[in-house]
Amino acid sequence: MAELNPDAPMPEKGLVVRGLRMAFGDTVVQHDLSFYVAPANIFVIMGVSGCGKSTLLRHIIDLQRSDVGDICFDGQRLINDDPAERAMLQSRIGVLFQSTALWSSMTVGENVALPMQLHTQLRPPEIRDQVAFKLALVGLAGQESKMPSELSGGMQKRAGLARAIALDPDYLFLDEPSAGLDPITSQRLDALIMRLRDALGVSVIAVSHELPSIFTIADDSIYLDNESKTAIAHGNPRELVENTPEPRVRAFLKREPIDEPARESA
Amino acid sequence: MSGDGALYRLDAADGECVVCLAGDWGRAERLPSAAGIHRDMGQPQAVVIDGSDLASGHPRVAAFVHALHHELDAAGVSVTERALPQNVDALVALASPPPAAVRQTQRKPRFLASLGARFQNQVRISQDAAALVGQALARTPALVTGRAQTRWRDFVDLVRETGAASLPVVTVVNLLIGAVLGFIGAVQLATFGAGMYLADLVGIASAREMAAIMTAFIMAGRIGATFAAHLATMESNEEIDALRMIGVSPFEFLALPRLAALTLMMPLLYLYGTALAIVGGMVVAHIVLGTPPIAFIERLQDAVAFRQFVIGLIKSVAFGILIALTSCYIGLHAGRNAAEVGRAATRTVVVCIIGIISIDAVAALCTNALGI
Repeated sequence: MAELNPDAPMPEKGLVVRGLRMAFGDTVVQHDLSFYVAPANIFVIMGVSGCGKSTLLRHIIDLQRSDVGDICFDGQRLINDDPAERAMLQSRIGVLFQSTALWSSMTVGENVALPMQLHTQLRPPEIRDQVAFKLALVGLAGQESKMPSELSGGMQKRAGLARAIALDPDYLFLDEPSAGLDPITSQRLDALIMRLRDALGVSVIAVSHELPSIFTIADDSIYLDNESKTAIAHGNPRELVENTPEPRVRAFLKREPIDEPARESA
Repeated sequence: MSGDGALYRLDAADGECVVCLAGDWGRAERLPSAAGIHRDMGQPQAVVIDGSDLASGHPRVAAFVHALHHELDAAGVSVTERALPQNVDALVALASPPPAAVRQTQRKPRFLASLGARFQNQVRISQDAAALVGQALARTPALVTGRAQTRWRDFVDLVRETGAASLPVVTVVNLLIGAVLGFIGAVQLATFGAGMYLADLVGIASAREMAAIMTAFIMAGRIGATFAAHLATMESNEEIDALRMIGVSPFEFLALPRLAALTLMMPLLYLYGTALAIVGGMVVAHIVLGTPPIAFIERLQDAVAFRQFVIGLIKSVAFGILIALTSCYIGLHAGRNAAEVGRAATRTVVVCIIGIISIDAVAALCTNALGI
């Protein structure tokens, strides 16, 4: 499902990445990445630390640029020099950063309100209603006037999530959503992500290496390999774990030690 | 009654009010607010929210229904929903109700209480600052004998950053200050035919006051702010806690090398700055008054006594200690967020400038009383 025929016509809905190559200077991080994220799907980018998962996410949302490859949202490129069109597309994308990146000098309510103030014509009382609702959706009802530093780690993640869905985006990007959270909080966040996907119909693209979370939320996934520098597995991780031919993917998904050829000969 | 591009309609009959939602809420530029609609509907006993005319179940509809629910619940009006799109129902169900005890009553502290709290805070700051000075005095011998928990590499880097890297800006500022002093002096002294005393004016002013003060201002802005921002960032990244956990004193590891580097470099920069200020004055004397450089230097030797340099040197050492301790104190006591880092840098510069001027004023009083 995630695999994409390079000659196929561009789908009208969904996110398409085609032939993407990411590099820092001469060091290639990943190359030949092609995949498709269907609407209202939860798509997980997996891989070991340092394989370029977060870099891929930053490329898709255009915080970093590549010279090779195409990224299209519903057939439209985000890398667009028309500022108005770019702003339009940006308002359809919500991002939860790994460190939540809540603006520390603003209250939680102001954090959620700011995207609406910048991207919509809504007046303050309407924005207040929207902010209260978004916070209630993530279980932070009535916490508008708290500062981010007054919240616990799990609450900060949820506040970040409320800010990410402030503009009712079509695409929600989550960078390591459960990193640094305890199993219970992490499991609650997973449940929240799935409920939000169902209720809002948003496509979720998450970067993760937390296996329980991956198996719970993912409809579809891609595995970025550190050695061949490209994606070596596509599909639903619950199926991949049973029938992938790739030893490194199996080792990752089953938490098995990998058979190192070097160690065998020694 | 209808409004906002026909996004809703209010039908009132027999104490019951039906709020009919309609149109495409996702594309609307303006939305109705729950508080506004509550005002418009008067005082019904029951309210029905009807979604049968909606074009789509946009999340904004759910936000409105959620807000109206709370608005009316608080007023004791019963609310029922009818024919809302499925995903709107799901979203409203997903939104948790606000906890009842959330609205804390914040009592405004009384004037005397807040005054007392402020005073206590000032006392605490003074205690901390005194403790810092005490630590500096107590641990300096350890630094000199190499027993302090300080990395030699850090110290060398700090000396380079405070000393060599500051030379360009110290050069420009002191050269120009010397030239400005030269201009003012040349014009005024020439009217009395006392142009030959320009060397006295530029020499004494630079050696005794200007070079030390200007160099200290530069270092407060350049180095003090850097130190404070660096330490405040380390604090917010828990780097300082990490140092404490491996048994390293943050003061010895971070503040002591900075204190040593600044205290060593400030007098050297002062001497360099004085020389340049004098060169600036000399060039102006040559251009404006036609005094040959040799004559200027000869006059300088007679006019500027050695004690002028000693006074300047002692002050520059004091300024160095002030800048290092202030920046380290503010950096190590900053809060743990991005805004605090900027505030720490600004506060350091402001406190240092006030401190430099105060020390200079006290020094002027003392030297005057001693007649030197």
